[in-house]
Amino acid sequence: MKLKKILFSSTFITIVWIVLLCSIWELEALHIEQIKRTPEKVFPHLMQIFESIADPKIISNDQTSIELVLTNAYATLERAGIGFLIGALSGFILALLMKFSGIIEKIAFPYLMLIQMIPILGMAPIVFAITQDIGVSRIVISGVLTFYPVAANTLAGLKSVSAENENLFRSYSANVFQTYTKLYIPTSIPFLFTGLKISAPLAITASILVDTLQGGVGLGCLLSQSLKGGMSPFVFWQIIFLSAAIGILSLQVMVIAEKIIMSHKVRWNREKNKNLI
Amino acid sequence: MSNEITIKNVNMVYGEGGGHRELRNPARGTVALKDVNLDIKKGEFISLLGPSGCGKTTLLRIIANLQNQTSGNVEVAGGTPEQARKSRKYGIVFQSPVLQDWRTIRQNVELPLEISHYPKSKRHELSEAMLRLVGLEKFKDVYPNELSGGMQQRVGIARALIMQPEILLMDEPFSALDEFTRDKLQEDLLNIWSRSLCTVVFVTHNIAESVYLSDRVCVMSPRPGRLSAVIDIDLPRPRKLAMRDTVEFVEYVSKVRNSFEGI
Ligand SMILES: Nc1ncnc2c1ncn2[C@@H]1O[C@H](COP(=O)(O)OP(=O)(O)O)[C@@H](O)[C@H]1O
Ligand SMILES: [Mg+2]
Repeated sequence: MKLKKILFSSTFITIVWIVLLCSIWELEALHIEQIKRTPEKVFPHLMQIFESIADPKIISNDQTSIELVLTNAYATLERAGIGFLIGALSGFILALLMKFSGIIEKIAFPYLMLIQMIPILGMAPIVFAITQDIGVSRIVISGVLTFYPVAANTLAGLKSVSAENENLFRSYSANVFQTYTKLYIPTSIPFLFTGLKISAPLAITASILVDTLQGGVGLGCLLSQSLKGGMSPFVFWQIIFLSAAIGILSLQVMVIAEKIIMSHKVRWNREKNKNLI
Repeated sequence: MSNEITIKNVNMVYGEGGGHRELRNPARGTVALKDVNLDIKKGEFISLLGPSGCGKTTLLRIIANLQNQTSGNVEVAGGTPEQARKSRKYGIVFQSPVLQDWRTIRQNVELPLEISHYPKSKRHELSEAMLRLVGLEKFKDVYPNELSGGMQQRVGIARALIMQPEILLMDEPFSALDEFTRDKLQEDLLNIWSRSLCTVVFVTHNIAESVYLSDRVCVMSPRPGRLSAVIDIDLPRPRKLAMRDTVEFVEYVSKVRNSFEGI
């Protein structure tokens, strides 16, 4: 019984996953080593990547490889963060407006889907043409991708308020402001976080992807440069690992924020929280 | 004694222009209430008794101004139902407790006071008293999902009474509870009512419950929903649970049961 408990504990499963993925990686690296002349340029060992982080060799602008990667990561993260905040805020406000007025919902909601369908790489030149500034475009695109999951999930949350609860507030003759602040918005908070958890990694991925379209500072820009060669091959791998780490971290930040906001021992109605994206 | 609630020739037809489009029956509207006439006196405990679908909830919601009747006239606390609602003349309790998960018990009970902009000290004073009345003073700082169904329903009652309303409207408040809890809450409700002196309109489909609690039982029948009998319950008060085993009580129960038509 006890063994079973350990076997299915989430930490154990995580460890198994990590070991499994690392072994596959190393097997492939060994294989490449056999057939290529410069294997570290094609598929390095994990250890080589980690060693490269500590490598003090200056590769560009007085920076070591990891310093270079981190500087660029900061720029990307900043744009993604600003875009995420703007997108989340406007998604939340639009959801409130759609709940408040059926007409606004009818006008806006069916077309919100369209935003999701335009490929990011297609959207980027359009946004760039409008804003005339690549930095601003990157922020806008992160925002646009954040917007829909937040708006749709929050709206679902606002609509999950029971008729009895609405009747209760009507019986108190509560005004619109009170009904929203004391009923609709608190009910929608767990749904809002579902949206934020979907959006946060999305905003970062989008930001990196749009970086690749033009030069400048940013993880994506550095990524394209490193692919073209001329730089230490390990820069590429550092970017890949750091991007993954940032994505996971952004999700964790949302999870922690959710826990703080719902810090009281409330078991929010989880079943209601499985909703559309 | 003067009337608290007067219901004159009230009809309610669903799906004939009124109501939500998607719920409308295209063939013919549902007659939920047909020619209902009823006077409820101040301080009276009255129950609306009947099988499901006979229009009990509909009648209660019309009194509460949560919906409008198709025709007829309703007066509540000397004005229209809308005036009564706006001046917070009634408190309402539903079948489910309808508590807010993110508020503590005390905060839940204080909700109507918050909406009416009572100052914090006054809110605390009133909620302390209400929670004591329903026997939950020890639980004021816990969250609703830590309480049993019966306790949650007590919170709902405390919340409905905290504005000291003239009228208490209850829609099958105990029907989701187990029998032991229900017995206890029925007895407690009578105690609370005898102290608050409000008028109670209590919806139920349980015959013994209506006889035990009420001064008058209004028997309702379905298709079309109507008031088919009003039976005075002349049992002495205060009433104890043991009273349900007396001959008089059993006779009232069978009298009420025999007054149903067309079921
Ligand atoms: N919103 C509504 N739209 C259409 N029909 C309704 C609506 N509410 C209730 N009804 C119908 O009216 C009748 C009475 O309902 P209700 O008042 O809920 O009865 P009860 O509370 O006694 O069970 C039922 O036949 C029900 O189907
Ligand atoms: Mg009902």
